[in-house]
Amino acid sequence: MTRSFKAVPAIALALALFDGAAHAQTIKIGVNEPLTGAFAASGTYVVNGAKIAADEINAKGGVLGKKIELVIEDNKSNPTEAAAVAEKLITRDKVPVMMGAWGSSLTLAVMPKLTEYEVPMVVETSSAGKITTSGNPYIFRISPPSAVEGAAFSKIIDKLAIKKADFLVINNDWGRGTAEDFGKMMKEHGISIGLVETMDQSAQDMSAQLSKLKATDSETIIVTTAVDQLTLIFKQAAAIGLKKRIITTGGSQNPDQIIAQAGAAANGTMHLTTFLPWYPDKTPNPEATNYFIGEWKKRGFEFAGVTESFRGYDGIRTAAAAIEKAGKAEPAAIKAALWEINIKGLNGDIVFKKSGPPARKAARASRTST
Amino acid sequence: MAQLLQHLVNTLVLGGTYALLGIGLTLIFGIMNVVNFTHGVLYTFGAYMMFIVVHQLGVNFFLALPLAIVAGWLLGAAIEILLLRPLRGSDIDTTMLVMIGAWIAMQSGALWIWGGVAKSVNNPFPDAPLVLGPVSVSWLRLFVLAAAALLIVIAYLLINRTKLGRAMRATFQDHDTAALMGVNVSWVYTSTFAIGSSLAAAAGALLGPVYVIFPQMGDLAAVKAFAIVILGGLGNITGAVIGGFILALAEELGAGYVSSGYRDAMGFLIIIAVLIFKPTGLFARAERVG
Amino acid sequence: MNRIATLICLAVFISVPLWLTDPYLLNALITTGIFIIGAMSLNLLLGFTGQLSLGHIAFFGIGAYVSALTSLGFDVPIVGDFHIVHVPWPPIAGFVLAILISGFCGYLVGRLSFSVRGAYFVIVTISFAEVVRLVALNWVELTQGPLALTNIPSITIGLPGLGYLVLKTKLQNYYLVLAVAALSYLLISRLVHSHYGRAMRGLMENETLAVAVGIDVTKTLTLAAIISAGIAGAAGSLYAHYIRIIDPDVFAFISTVTMVIMVVSGGKGSLAGPVIGGVIFGLLPVFLRPIMPPEAQWITYGGVLIAILFVLPRGIVPTLAPLLGLSRKPGGAAAKVAPRAAEEHA
Repeated sequence: MTRSFKAVPAIALALALFDGAAHAQTIKIGVNEPLTGAFAASGTYVVNGAKIAADEINAKGGVLGKKIELVIEDNKSNPTEAAAVAEKLITRDKVPVMMGAWGSSLTLAVMPKLTEYEVPMVVETSSAGKITTSGNPYIFRISPPSAVEGAAFSKIIDKLAIKKADFLVINNDWGRGTAEDFGKMMKEHGISIGLVETMDQSAQDMSAQLSKLKATDSETIIVTTAVDQLTLIFKQAAAIGLKKRIITTGGSQNPDQIIAQAGAAANGTMHLTTFLPWYPDKTPNPEATNYFIGEWKKRGFEFAGVTESFRGYDGIRTAAAAIEKAGKAEPAAIKAALWEINIKGLNGDIVFKKSGPPARKAARASRTST
Repeated sequence: MAQLLQHLVNTLVLGGTYALLGIGLTLIFGIMNVVNFTHGVLYTFGAYMMFIVVHQLGVNFFLALPLAIVAGWLLGAAIEILLLRPLRGSDIDTTMLVMIGAWIAMQSGALWIWGGVAKSVNNPFPDAPLVLGPVSVSWLRLFVLAAAALLIVIAYLLINRTKLGRAMRATFQDHDTAALMGVNVSWVYTSTFAIGSSLAAAAGALLGPVYVIFPQMGDLAAVKAFAIVILGGLGNITGAVIGGFILALAEELGAGYVSSGYRDAMGFLIIIAVLIFKPTGLFARAERVG
Repeated sequence: MNRIATLICLAVFISVPLWLTDPYLLNALITTGIFIIGAMSLNLLLGFTGQLSLGHIAFFGIGAYVSALTSLGFDVPIVGDFHIVHVPWPPIAGFVLAILISGFCGYLVGRLSFSVRGAYFVIVTISFAEVVRLVALNWVELTQGPLALTNIPSITIGLPGLGYLVLKTKLQNYYLVLAVAALSYLLISRLVHSHYGRAMRGLMENETLAVAVGIDVTKTLTLAAIISAGIAGAAGSLYAHYIRIIDPDVFAFISTVTMVIMVVSGGKGSLAGPVIGGVIFGLLPVFLRPIMPPEAQWITYGGVLIAILFVLPRGIVPTLAPLLGLSRKPGGAAAKVAPRAAEEHA
């Protein structure tokens, strides 16, 4: 038994040496995303977007005269692993800045490591309020939180003449946060709020919740969840004869995919999205959007993925811009530089504001009709 | 009232598929005493077979179903021969852990081959639902219910009316005696696992077009299947069918009238209650298992 | 377990931070160590009483939540204006409460579910863990649900007047986990060699006979469940204060699976089994990470598990210990009889 114990340290040391060789000629950016487990699909999209950004930057000569190198690690959709991955990226790979970690619990688990090693991280997807309000100075979020989206929605909400709305949200920080923020905003507009129903993020059958919503006196349902569950909701709502107005939020949805998968069931629904790859010329940065979408198609990825992957693209461009501004690839300088950058993201300008979310021209409303 | 009727219709549609999931597992659990963690993966596999056969090979939807079921049968037989046969006689924890290893490896294999992005399968049924007064139901789900009922009947006849079925029942009651009486127990085990697997694949092939297909879709299905098996009693097909409908009813009413957050808790609470008050399941037979 | 081998092992573990300074590996060792404590507690049930709990993560998660909430405080409305308000206590109090409350949950589950055995017990425990996870997810006023409990303080030790030590660094946490692991090992070792331990093994090998000679089945099993759950709660508390954020994902089924893998591959019913199995399966992903793509890592993980069970169906320690000249484990022989005993009562 003691023998097997001695074998472990030997392997450990060998690996430590093996990994130690750093490439001095590149500037590393750590990418901490779920590539296996429950969120594998989304994490893979974000990484693909990140790769497009890195290749684009490198084709134009890199930053500070060096190429950027993405060190991509899988956090297995598991908070413990997300923290371990941050540890590895910082101490092994010596990355001066990171991007991650898709889900809010994954991102929250990484945050103590950022404080410990004083390395900044660009948050590309997570929307939980706690991420930016818990006083961690190393967190820079480019994803619009639900309150910002709600504020944008409030500008057009009166035109929709909603009297009473129910919510059907995914049972995580994103869904619950949206129900809270949108509910508050809608009450200010004199709209009464009915039921708030939740669904497990792995649930495939929402008929029970929809049957309950069918029987209420509300005429509108606000739905927040990822695209696959959304597709199922449209199909199942049609199947049980639910004929209320459905408004989706969150910006990850992709009307193309919904129409492809849900077919006629998605007719007459409305989607709040933050990024409009279907109309590149109407996005805040048409040139970059056209480039990004062209590259995405050239690489043979499914078009449906662009509404998630653009976050990875923007995240890497944000990190690279900060490195350029800092003039050196060091965490403290990059952290300081992140406050000063102003780049055109695919869905709005990226400028960071203290102790709150970055300013973005956030939600736009679009109507799909087929 | 309209809401209650709709919930009951949903229960009928959902319960049929739960029953199908449950009977495959209850056979394996009851006859082989194997906690089969690959059941969910075979469900996923059936769904992906449906996707491949319909979308990549261009085969007709109704022809694709039997193909997916046969594929599940073959994969199940392969798992039994490669992983379980060498461990015959090992205890329940060891075989369970081997099944867990196979589950982890196969699910990751599916992720590697097909990616994490959900796929959907087109179906030939009209989008507009069948409306009956205050309730409505989609044609596809009615078809799934009918197909599930047909498969359950076939499985029932297989167990109760054929020579193989008799051998399976004999093995279930006492495998030592069955072996002494000339039953080829090894062959019965392989057949049982293959049949159970093909039923899981059938459930996946039927539900794949109803839902969306992704590598982890089988996990939740497997947990529900375990619940159904326990409700119905190990190895009891009729019990599994009734258990499937009870679980569906509990979920529907739980979500409709209690709290949607606790929808999935309903099934588990029923299991805990059943096992505390009637520890052998609702419809357990008296025979000894194993 | 040979006493000298145990002490050598302990010495190796104590010396680890002297020659292993890589923080990434140290971090992996700490989280692995926490799960090894969980696995040791599972082994007490699985290896020494033959009861396979597939819901063991419930006690771990309850410990994590109790400890986190004790040190963070909460304000929960119960009925109308009646609130239960709790002001933050020191984390060490959370640690103690985690053990007590998890142990109490172990008592409840034990009392309720030991009337069923074998496969039924497996499913009851899975169901229990799922229900607890759903409560953690939906009782937002208390647990904050999916919004997660964040900024959980690190464990502080010390006495009033003598100063306090906040265990923040990896080194401190490593020794904290090692100390709790060593104490748990000692406790389990004492228990299984005691009168109660003999009763447990007697039950596992032949329950009818055990009852006939006057062993109180329920009392024996319940005691094992309480201690097992209490230790799992301690592990959960360590987890909460080390990772410093918990959400309902802490109840993930894969964590139970990890613990079962550690126990069965290492050798159930052997005191050292979960430690050896835990080190192997805790560190395997760390070694696989740099050499293959993510999906292949999982496939290899599953493959290694199957391979170990094929080559060493009784687990690593019970098979290899006699070869290395170490004395046989008390549970070694019992492990073979376990399924039969479980079947008798299924």
